[in-house]
Amino acid sequence: MNRRFIAAAVLLLLVASAFAHRLDEYLQATIISLDNNHVQASMRLVPGVAVASTVLADIDANGDGVLSQPEQQTYAERVLHDLTITVDGQPANPMLVSQKFPPVEEIRAGLGEIQIEFTFNLPPGGPDRKIIFENHHLNKISAYLVNCLAPRDPGIRIITQSRNETQSFYQLDYTQSGAASGSASAKGWFNIPWRMGAVGFASLFHLGMRHIAEGTDHLLFLLALLLPAPLLVSGARWAGFAGVRPSLLRILKVVTAFTLGHSITLALAALGVVHVPSRPIEVLIALSILVSAVHALRPLFPGKEAGIAAFFGLIHGLAFAATLDQLGLGRWERVGGILAFNLGIETMQLIVVAAAMPFLVLMSRTRAYPFLRIGGALFAAVASLGWIAERLFGAQNPVGIIVESVAHHAVWIAVMLFLVSLICWLLAHVLKAKPQTSIITAFPMQLKKKA
Amino acid sequence: MNIFSVRMVRGVCALALVYLSASVAVAQSSTARIVGAANTFLSTLNAQQRQKVLFPFDDEKQRARWSNFPTGFIPRGGISLKEMNAAQRSATMALVSSALSPRGFEKVQQIMEGDEVNKINEANHPNRPPGDRKGPPPNGANGPSVGPPPLTSDMFGKDLYYISILGTPSEKAPWMLQFGGHHLALNITIAGERGILTPTLTGAQPALYTSNGKIVRPLGQESDKALALLNTLDDSQRKQAILSYRVADLVLGPGQDGKIIQPEGLKASAMNDRQRAMLLDVISEWAGIIHESAAAARMAELKADINETWFSWSGPTTAVPGKNITAYYRIQGPHVVIEYAPQSLGGDPSLHVHTMYRDPTNDYGRGLTKK
Repeated sequence: MNRRFIAAAVLLLLVASAFAHRLDEYLQATIISLDNNHVQASMRLVPGVAVASTVLADIDANGDGVLSQPEQQTYAERVLHDLTITVDGQPANPMLVSQKFPPVEEIRAGLGEIQIEFTFNLPPGGPDRKIIFENHHLNKISAYLVNCLAPRDPGIRIITQSRNETQSFYQLDYTQSGAASGSASAKGWFNIPWRMGAVGFASLFHLGMRHIAEGTDHLLFLLALLLPAPLLVSGARWAGFAGVRPSLLRILKVVTAFTLGHSITLALAALGVVHVPSRPIEVLIALSILVSAVHALRPLFPGKEAGIAAFFGLIHGLAFAATLDQLGLGRWERVGGILAFNLGIETMQLIVVAAAMPFLVLMSRTRAYPFLRIGGALFAAVASLGWIAERLFGAQNPVGIIVESVAHHAVWIAVMLFLVSLICWLLAHVLKAKPQTSIITAFPMQLKKKA
Repeated sequence: MNIFSVRMVRGVCALALVYLSASVAVAQSSTARIVGAANTFLSTLNAQQRQKVLFPFDDEKQRARWSNFPTGFIPRGGISLKEMNAAQRSATMALVSSALSPRGFEKVQQIMEGDEVNKINEANHPNRPPGDRKGPPPNGANGPSVGPPPLTSDMFGKDLYYISILGTPSEKAPWMLQFGGHHLALNITIAGERGILTPTLTGAQPALYTSNGKIVRPLGQESDKALALLNTLDDSQRKQAILSYRVADLVLGPGQDGKIIQPEGLKASAMNDRQRAMLLDVISEWAGIIHESAAAARMAELKADINETWFSWSGPTTAVPGKNITAYYRIQGPHVVIEYAPQSLGGDPSLHVHTMYRDPTNDYGRGLTKK
């Protein structure tokens, strides 16, 4: 009688669970919650009906069909053991707080939810913090979810959450101000915006740098505009090298003007003074690349590069503001935020310009330069046309992907260009002793001919 | 002629006034109407049934006794339509209908009807799953004596929906009406003229079926409107909205009351006016389930928050025409969390979906009733 009843109940559970809930996955959902010195985490573990027996065999070590207290504890400890957690790069040790197991039949039916609570400490650190949470528990059959509660402490601000495709890897970057970390660093005036209660200065600085490094369109505009910077104009064409000093001066002017332009609109937009929809901005940015690419082919506005850079800088700045807007900063926090973010942008921009400058100044003396200039300009023009089509008409095309993949190797390309220009420079210097074979005579400047 | 037209204008004005005041009166009496329907419902019950239906207003256990599981596993409180006579059943549905908009009530009926279809499907194709790979020992011993079809009839079906009332139906003091079963959990808090629908779970399985020759998708609008919004996003917006990782299930499903997770995706402040209006329209599929005056107040609140509201998407960005999306999406603002989570159970994920509608600041009307 009793046996019959159990059989009926089990069958009922099996039949219903078929379509009631997950089937062949072990759902492991984690929600973490931060405060100043520790993290609390709760995990919900739901084995699907097809994998329930596998999971149950793991829990019920002696196979008696009962999940005893020690078995529950051992399993919960095992789950924690299968986690890899680091805080600011240092391994953290999760401590079990509690575990709660549903009846065996519910687990068997794919409906049982195991709950595990645990905690780990956050040792004192700087304002910029990083937690990495990796879950390796039964990863062949599992589906993971990881989320972070919005912090209650106003001193904690989440910057980014990143995950791999399955969410078995989760990284949380956040900033922390206040007593726990206030004394940890003293980097002089750099810390002022942060002390004002702003988001971590360094985080926003990095965000700015990353934004430029990854924002291929911004860089392409600037580089295309710099391509003809070391050259003289002759008629309606680009001619030879204008000399080191004028070249450097022009590059400096263009970069400064671009910086000025985008700083102004970034500040205005981030403070909410102006609000412009993102789509036209994105189109105008693509257009700005086209303009500077054409200018690199044939001088459109010789001598006025700085003005153009400032004008389009105004537009690029509006796009930068959209990124900052994502962080949801308060009005006053934004002031420090804008400063940090903008300094990040400038720094990355300077790195890129510094990497390109020797190449520009040295290569532009050679006969090979027109080919490089035209090639670069055509590349920028095609990219901008692709972007314009994509952004204006939603026309999907491979331009974005190609440019991204080129940009992906930007560091190597930059290193290569730097080496090439270094070799040229060395050749020029080494061979200066023997004027007959000097690179300058080997590739005579057109300047002299034309003049 | 002149006098006539003046009279006519007066008449029209008077009519308009009467109509206006009548509609104002109707709007104000939503709560009265629901209270009336609740009292009528209670009057059809015997003492024993009434005791089963009524709970104290602050009964936290009963509040949280809802789920996306079939009622056989997670027993709901209250009594089911199955245990009622015809008069009690129609009084129940009249009460539910009084608290909802016509569209909301239709959705509820379609979800219930879907569970009926599911029951028939289950009875016709028992034991489909590979779940019995390692059949439990008792099953093998005397399995054949119990057939699955009669058992599934206790699992699914449109009569396995439960009603319960927390507190006393009143036009002033707050009380709660719960109605739900498999794939449905309506938690309606009535506090004076306010009506709060959060937290509410809707789901559909099958999410597409034929009824009287008509194709029904109980949560089809939730799917289609969100996809339409996604399709208006430009590249940079899509880059933000589309998450790079899989979301296998509801993050804030049953049992996760009051949690506010860090929002992700595309913020509506980076949308244009048309996209924001479309986002609000997606939200209205949940916010508009409750009766019109409560829905209007709720939509006004969510509209005011719209720039602080986020939209995120995970999964395929296209759908088979006429079918639901197979992607997960989430809408999160200061006063709302909506999740749409297709369930892949080895079959077509467009045919089975769970959705969640929350206000983490006001689940069960806590923000209103707690002082």
